[in-house]
Amino acid sequence: MTEVVATNQTILVVGGGISGMTAALEAAECGKEVVLIEKNPVLGGRVSQLYRYFPKLCHPTCGLEINQRRVKQNKRIRILTMAEVTGITGSPGDYTASVKIAPRYVNENCTACGDCGDAAETMIDDAFNYNLGKVKAAFLPSRMSYPQRYVVDPSVIGTPEADKIKAACKYDAVDLSMQEETVQVKAGAVVWATGWKPYDANKIQPYGYDRFDNVITSVEFERLSDPHGPTGGKILRPSDGKEAKNVAFIQCAGSRDENHLRHCSRICCMASLKQTNYMREAFGDEGKSTIYYIDIRAIDRFEDFYQKVQADPNVKFVKSKVARILEDKDGNPVLHGVDTEGYHRYATPHDLVVLAVGMEPSVSAANIPAEIVSDSSGFIEQDQANGAIFGAGCAANPLDVNRSVQSATASALRAIQVINRVARAEG
Amino acid sequence: MADMKVAAYICQGCGLGERLDTADLAKVAQKEGKAAIVKEHPFLCNAEGVAMIRSDIDNEAVTHVMVAACSRRAKTEAFGFTDVALSRANLREGVIWVRPDDEESRETTQEMAADYVRMGCAEVKKMKLPAGNPETATNRRVLVVGGGVSGMTAAIEASKAGYQVVLVEKGAALGGWAAKLYKRSPSRSPYADPQDTGVDEMIAAINADSNITVYTNSITSKTEGAPGRFKIDVSQESGATVTEEVGSIIQATGFTLYDANNLPELGYGKSPNVMDQAGLEALAKAANGGPIKRPSDGGEVKSVVFVQCAGQRDETGKHLPYCSGSCCLTSVKQAMYFKDNNPDIDTVVVYTDLRMPGNGEDFYRSGQTKGVTFTKGKVSTVEATGNTCKVNFQDLILNEQTAIENADIVVLATGQVANSGVDVDAKLKADIAAAAGDETLLNAWNAAQAEGAVKPISVLNLTYRQGPDVPQLKYGFTDSHFICFPYETRRTGIYSAGPVRRPMDIVQATEDATGAAMKAIQAVENAAVGRAAHPRSGDLSYPIVRIEGCTQCKRCTVECPFGAIDEDEKRYPLFNESRCRRCGTCMGACPVRVISFENYSVDTVGSQIKAVDVPDEFSEKPRILILACENDAYPALDMAAMNKQVYSAWVRVIPVRCLGSVNTIWITDALNSGYDGVMMMGCKHGDDYQCHFVKGSELASYRMSKVGDTLQGMGLEPERVQTFEAAITDIERLPKLINEYADAISALPPSPFKGF
Amino acid sequence: MSIEKYTRSFLKEVEERVEEGHWVKMCMQCGVCAGSCPLGAHWEHTPQKIFMMIRAGKREEVLSSDSMWMCTSCYQCIVRCPRKLPITHIMHGLAYLAKREGLVPKNQPTAQFGQLFWDNLVKTGRVNELKLSLGMYFKDGFSQGIKNAMAMQSVGLGMMKAKRLNPMEIMGGHGIKDKSGFHAMLKKARELEDSRRKLA
Repeated sequence: MTEVVATNQTILVVGGGISGMTAALEAAECGKEVVLIEKNPVLGGRVSQLYRYFPKLCHPTCGLEINQRRVKQNKRIRILTMAEVTGITGSPGDYTASVKIAPRYVNENCTACGDCGDAAETMIDDAFNYNLGKVKAAFLPSRMSYPQRYVVDPSVIGTPEADKIKAACKYDAVDLSMQEETVQVKAGAVVWATGWKPYDANKIQPYGYDRFDNVITSVEFERLSDPHGPTGGKILRPSDGKEAKNVAFIQCAGSRDENHLRHCSRICCMASLKQTNYMREAFGDEGKSTIYYIDIRAIDRFEDFYQKVQADPNVKFVKSKVARILEDKDGNPVLHGVDTEGYHRYATPHDLVVLAVGMEPSVSAANIPAEIVSDSSGFIEQDQANGAIFGAGCAANPLDVNRSVQSATASALRAIQVINRVARAEG
Repeated sequence: MADMKVAAYICQGCGLGERLDTADLAKVAQKEGKAAIVKEHPFLCNAEGVAMIRSDIDNEAVTHVMVAACSRRAKTEAFGFTDVALSRANLREGVIWVRPDDEESRETTQEMAADYVRMGCAEVKKMKLPAGNPETATNRRVLVVGGGVSGMTAAIEASKAGYQVVLVEKGAALGGWAAKLYKRSPSRSPYADPQDTGVDEMIAAINADSNITVYTNSITSKTEGAPGRFKIDVSQESGATVTEEVGSIIQATGFTLYDANNLPELGYGKSPNVMDQAGLEALAKAANGGPIKRPSDGGEVKSVVFVQCAGQRDETGKHLPYCSGSCCLTSVKQAMYFKDNNPDIDTVVVYTDLRMPGNGEDFYRSGQTKGVTFTKGKVSTVEATGNTCKVNFQDLILNEQTAIENADIVVLATGQVANSGVDVDAKLKADIAAAAGDETLLNAWNAAQAEGAVKPISVLNLTYRQGPDVPQLKYGFTDSHFICFPYETRRTGIYSAGPVRRPMDIVQATEDATGAAMKAIQAVENAAVGRAAHPRSGDLSYPIVRIEGCTQCKRCTVECPFGAIDEDEKRYPLFNESRCRRCGTCMGACPVRVISFENYSVDTVGSQIKAVDVPDEFSEKPRILILACENDAYPALDMAAMNKQVYSAWVRVIPVRCLGSVNTIWITDALNSGYDGVMMMGCKHGDDYQCHFVKGSELASYRMSKVGDTLQGMGLEPERVQTFEAAITDIERLPKLINEYADAISALPPSPFKGF
Repeated sequence: MSIEKYTRSFLKEVEERVEEGHWVKMCMQCGVCAGSCPLGAHWEHTPQKIFMMIRAGKREEVLSSDSMWMCTSCYQCIVRCPRKLPITHIMHGLAYLAKREGLVPKNQPTAQFGQLFWDNLVKTGRVNELKLSLGMYFKDGFSQGIKNAMAMQSVGLGMMKAKRLNPMEIMGGHGIKDKSGFHAMLKKARELEDSRRKLA
């Protein structure tokens, strides 16, 4: 694992979500050598945590399966998981990246048989489910895990439980002596595809995400709606486990707001429109959704999807940025604001509020360990000054999946252009 | 090729050794599977186990390997032998993880495992290690059709990677839509001002680039061949035709603005002061930074109104139903043309939803800073009289019907219509609609076929059996239907880029074109080594036809979702392997079974079906065949196994490349062999289809709808064969479905064909 | 003044004559100001709607609106505005313009109080709390004044106890030393403001 053979004709892809996987695969399927770095224990990134995609309402794991198969059969891609780039030196055609690899405590002998998970007792927060549930301290991060290999949580290392976990493995796959290590990876070009993170909803004080159990984020709602999520796909509100049949979706939770994110995050309108379908799926005509919005940004043929949702009598649209949320005695969040079409003041109770939180770059350009030109939100810009470090997907712009993949495919070509130049120079 | 030598390896790890009698399985592999080498191993996927197999391949001349262990989706690194034919018997996810660990179940679980070993051995013996298509074609040039920003970007980017490009532009000069612009919306921070289009620089770069050959005033009048060996007739206005050879194609033919003549209620055609966005660009270009004059009389412009969604987002069915996603940006930019020249000019943008995603928000703010007024409203009519226009609209904020009285110029944001050529599926779509009771499409199609009617002009003029252009997805755009795979067009090696794919702005078009150039380059590299493109990327198998058996029924040529099969002059199917995506739909379609792949054929599956040991009718052990799509249903079953969900021991699952590849002979073979039922699991079809091969699951369900007659002929109940839609997330549902089906089959009398 | 709809003439006037008026064009009609205002329920027109009315050229309606007089300067709207509009200031600026243009609704209590406060202050250079409150109580007539005073009795007594209200102020009260200098200063300030805001 530690000997990563790479040359200045190798492309380093940072981030193993759909953008990074795409960039790596497109380049590798063009015959290029790729090293793919992922911070998490498995590939798939944020899309693997979505229940369905808009506008087809198909499942992200379907595409992930294909991409995993492409990765499995392509020997040109080497993958480092639980790894982060801590420094990049050099110049186009000749970079060296320092990659810090955290210990997984499980080696490639793992067959994913699950015996270590059975042996573990400590329950830890389930990051895959945005901490809405718990997993064992020896766990497979998701059902679609690739690499299909367990992880032992550092919290149990050094305890008798760790020894029990190790003893449970018949295949000598649990290695408690693993240490953090740093490796150097040479590369001619770098594709930076570290994706996005949901804007911290705690910062939007009037919405009370930190105070009210029944105010959650759109990404959490994805997990609640997923039959394989922490509630088994039942849309239950956190405070009392009651079915949330009347849900408010608040658009621009953080986005288009100079107090928070200056940009429009592009995806949130479509995501909320999609999530009204989850309500219909879960509760039929009993599931009521209300979307509070400024502008519904359903561009190109997404408009069809918007019109379909508009035609649903169980979905209401209120043109209003919600001013604040209070809680009534039954724990119902009550939304206060003004419908700006005409002038209608409202104080509407809902069972659950879903904040359509904005997209922030996961790694703001300012924190990339290289000199990178970025826009005011920290997204990587296309700039000569960035040399052969190319932003891809949501590291470069708030994008939906489709456009992220286009961006990643484009960035793969930009990297190949550099590699081919190096190859020509080296003969 | 050396003589076939089969080796079977049976893993005892992950509980297989405890739950199964592996010695018995070894015996099965040896006696019934006829494996020359049979080995059990306590932990087959570890370094030592793998080395053992490796050693047998290297030292014992093993050519065919059967690994009986976990799912073919697991431990792919360990068992990724590329120099032998390989099959995997799924004893872990397919057997022990879905069966209860109790004494009562032991016998049936063992039988299941034994059958999978038999199947694995039978399959591998029918497989060959794909050698790759010998007829590789190595032309690595890229053809770009369309010389606008998208086409020019694709050409420049492909050239930068070291590839030669042929660029064909219909017009007299490169530049396309962007060349008609005074400025473009900004592409960079601070996203505040319109910026130069950059078109002149791009044209200069192309002219200076010896890798790029440009034909202007030219069209692609004929396109034949396949990735790696396309032959293009480039017909020039002068009458000359040049033939160019290329390896892949990018179609970047852009868009035409929706015809504002369809909007007389918005004043278009009534006054020169009402124009579309192109009209205003022309004025701005002529003014070149100076004041833009009122067209009707050259008078000073004091007030300009921009009407968003003119003929777009239309719910009446008369105009475009979609949003063009770029007009809001354009209107803000155009308002700035006035504001930057004279801040006192009134510019009002009337919109219903301002759609400027991403950094567009900065541009919106900049427009406001410059004093552009934004009004959420719906324009009903524009009255154009004399030199001024009255714009009547509903102000949605103030909630009143109102008007802007004295607008000097009204700009209608009319949206993008794709220049995509002939709708090759039009007849098919019309037939489907007509079958469902709606004849409008069919009537329109018939009218279009009538003598003298204006027919759509083809862009690519492909000589493909399935029509001259790339199939369209919706509203004339050639977009991919796949969210994860936006470059998956249904014509291998031909990629759409820019607004012909879907309505978009220049920033997106540039990104899209760069991505398309990536795919075009990849396509020629794949073709050069006979490798499949997505989704079976890297697959070296290809369809092989035993042409002497062909009856010229044409089903393969018609049904291929990728238009890979033409007809030769004797009307036999002519396979173009580098267009093929290896889904096997042709194989499924072929009634005389003359199409096969080296590693996937009627035989590889058929022999598995026949290898299963079908107990006699007195045993009360029905057998059910499941043919499961390997892309979605099979992974779902694997994941159900990871959850330890129990399902019936009567089933035997065979993964298939796509349900479209299922040949009905497999069904009749199974029934004739005494199976009691057949379940098929494929992806969703219809409008929101999820089939990775576009039409595979749809074709399968069509074919299976006809199986009823066969069953009747055999005297069998129709419910013995059923097709189910399955998604990869149906982890809980599929085991339930299987159990319900198994119960239903158990309730029927045993198949009368047992023991024959 | 007649204004053509959706022209910049009134917006321009607001930009020139109203404090922070140049921010009005930046509003994106989200309505969070309207919902955030603690006195929102009492508004005839919400701030965001006022901004739209300004853009639509509704000069009379805006300046004669009761709304901006409702602002208590809690700054909730400014804190929340995603476009960072200084809404509180704009509201006060609009109120001032309305006052100067003589378009304040009749008997608008905030306006009345403002005028009383101003008159009270200008007289001596100091605010006479007692007279100011009495002036407020009795503005609608004697009997209403008595009722008001009785209702506020406990507040008044409390303030007296805390030495915040001196009953002797009824005699005329305290003032600053150089009253004429103070008046000259006010005059000059007003001249400057008028020319800056084109209010003369």
